[in-house]
Amino acid sequence: MAENAVQRQTILSLRESIARIENGCSTAVVPAIRDADRAGFRRGRERAPDRQVMPFGIASLDDVLKGGLPLEGLVEIRNAETRDAGAAAGFVMALAVLYQQRRKQKGHLAPVLWISQALAAREAGNPYAPGLRSYGLDAERLLFVSAGKVKDALWIAETALSVPVFATIVLEIRGNPASLALSESRRLHVKARAGQVPLLLFRQAGEEEASSAFFRFQVKPAPAGERPLPDGSMLCGSVGHPSFHLLVEKNRASAPHDIFLEWNAHDRRFYPLDERRSAALQAIDQPEDPGDPLSASAGRSCRAEPLGRLLAFARAS
Amino acid sequence: MRLVALDTLAERIGLKRGQGAAEARAMCPALDVIVADPSADQAFLEGLADWCDRYTPLVALDGKDGLFLDITGCAHLFGGEKALVSDVLSRLFALGVEARATISSSAGLSWAASRHGHADVIDPEEADRILAPLPVAALRLPAETVAALERVGLREIGDLLKAPRAPLARRFGPQLLLRLDQARGRVDEPLSPRLPVPSFSAERRFAEPLQDEAYILELTRHLAKDVRASLERQGEGGRLFELLLFRVDGRVFRVQAHAAFALNDAGRIAALFRERLQAVHDDLDAGFGFEILRLAVLRSERLDPAQQDFSGVPDESQPLAAFVDKVSARFGPDCLMQACFAESHLPERAGGFFPLRDVAALLDAPGLEGGAFPENRPLRIFAHPEPVEATAEVPEGPPRSFNWRKTRYRVARAEGPERIAAEWWIDGEDHPTRDYFRVEDQEGRRFWLFREGLYEREVSSARWFMHGVFA
Repeated sequence: MAENAVQRQTILSLRESIARIENGCSTAVVPAIRDADRAGFRRGRERAPDRQVMPFGIASLDDVLKGGLPLEGLVEIRNAETRDAGAAAGFVMALAVLYQQRRKQKGHLAPVLWISQALAAREAGNPYAPGLRSYGLDAERLLFVSAGKVKDALWIAETALSVPVFATIVLEIRGNPASLALSESRRLHVKARAGQVPLLLFRQAGEEEASSAFFRFQVKPAPAGERPLPDGSMLCGSVGHPSFHLLVEKNRASAPHDIFLEWNAHDRRFYPLDERRSAALQAIDQPEDPGDPLSASAGRSCRAEPLGRLLAFARAS
Repeated sequence: MRLVALDTLAERIGLKRGQGAAEARAMCPALDVIVADPSADQAFLEGLADWCDRYTPLVALDGKDGLFLDITGCAHLFGGEKALVSDVLSRLFALGVEARATISSSAGLSWAASRHGHADVIDPEEADRILAPLPVAALRLPAETVAALERVGLREIGDLLKAPRAPLARRFGPQLLLRLDQARGRVDEPLSPRLPVPSFSAERRFAEPLQDEAYILELTRHLAKDVRASLERQGEGGRLFELLLFRVDGRVFRVQAHAAFALNDAGRIAALFRERLQAVHDDLDAGFGFEILRLAVLRSERLDPAQQDFSGVPDESQPLAAFVDKVSARFGPDCLMQACFAESHLPERAGGFFPLRDVAALLDAPGLEGGAFPENRPLRIFAHPEPVEATAEVPEGPPRSFNWRKTRYRVARAEGPERIAAEWWIDGEDHPTRDYFRVEDQEGRRFWLFREGLYEREVSSARWFMHGVFA
């Protein structure tokens, strides 16, 4: 009898962890079984199975992300080339603003921690406080740490994840260092979920690599719109709100997806670019010469689909 | 080359300070001459002073070759004054240091007796009797005063004691009588200790030297408990802690740890040192072990005991402070940075990141209200603007294309110029003006470029720089 119960408990916990890995797709099954199994052992800490998310407010993107960005766990954002780091930093900071806003609505004015590998800041520039403020971030609540080594940066990130203070933690790493491979990303992901903090891994000029992140985005620059004039028309030749070309490279549900977004610092939210402009930008984005060595590696639409489903990448680090 | 210092053996042969090295070698061919290194001597003396911290916190340096120890209230801990002196001398002898020491009621008398006499502990009543046979040089007088005194036949301090005071003062100045009174204990002489005395400290001495870091941390926690008791009594919490580790061979290590908030919790004090010892791991060579561990509070602040409320809203300042402490203990106090803003037109002065000073302010600062600030500034800025080669259609206009980091960018749109003049009250009047342009290349990257210098007024050919990148 006792043996039987232990076996059942083992199977249940395995099922549960599989469901957690698949993240929400079949979580409904497990609680149902568990609830039915009154005689089984219950674990001390159990959380509500529904994942808390922060929606973007853009239907097509939220569908792909199954509701929005997770409020705990790892999300990876990368850019292909160093010169695109401005756009990627813009997207990451916009997410930080959104997370900060969310915490503020709950009554907390939470700080944001930005951990940066020293090399990354040297290559792509230091964060600039007035710029961050004009971008919508509560810059006085931004803590910035520059770590000499990747290991130090990871240590700081782990320490910060155990403190339930930060609205979000940005970990900026350059390239694909060997000290941040799949197992380390798994560790960060687990810690971030345990600490209930969203961790944004900002991989500057990095390849796509197998990781435990919920989502991986690639951010490419996109031409901005024009500044609106009071009478509704646009100021010709001006550079308006920052725009991004966002590729959802990894998600749990559907195929890779891309979308053009515009960040409005005043409203503190993303808006999708309208259809016509997106289509025009998509056309620009197709490289004229496919052999261009500087083109990003994730333009998948023009590449032959590999046979079968790619489950894990060869290690880039 | 001249001799500046001699050991006992050399003195016995009859060598003198100031003698030429060649002459000394002629007297004694087997002489071992070492080149003098005053800075190393000073460092050694300071190391000894650190070592003497085990007897009293009040240690003062005396010139190049002496130390004053104020042992008021300390002697009984070592079994009396006599035992203390013999303990100091035997331990120093074991370290290979030849030293002389005297305990007396005044610094001047100790100085005179240790350098020119033989007594080890002097009773206050016997001061005059001990002083009388000593030479006048034992009064710490300038060389010319000593020479002048000897010229008139006043060779011993006893002669001065017998002489009338007024003529002495008239002839040799007030310094002589001051030194004489200090030596006799009539005038108080304050010593200035080289380090401030910590207001709270606790220490442990071990019969067996200690090597393992885990034990050191455990003992630090015990010491922190002892310190906590006295901190609580005063209603204070420590901001700056110091752990002194006395190694058996006489080396003393000082490890300091900052706390973001006033702290009196033993566990958190020990946690600070856990990170700190990790960081200094390579420099902290345990060697044959440590014999004394001391925890001192160098800076403390008022700490009001806080009652936890039942509102359910967690207090965020404590965990944040713990995080700040942990990170700054490992990577130094300047590693965490906070945004600061200044009233300046120049972008590099308008704002930047500076080491975090006040954790509470980080949480309490008023948030941004309403919309974002309208100014158009880049998200990232280069610490040093990077020179680019740019071509513009018109001299004062925006660039058409530019080369940055060996890549050519064609400008699709540009906004500007935003003209920012140098701050003449800081930079001087001939500092060139900058024209900033916000440009977007054909693929949508947005950059902040500036042209340095105005044509015809300031420069003949302007230089372009890349200063930052926009989102």
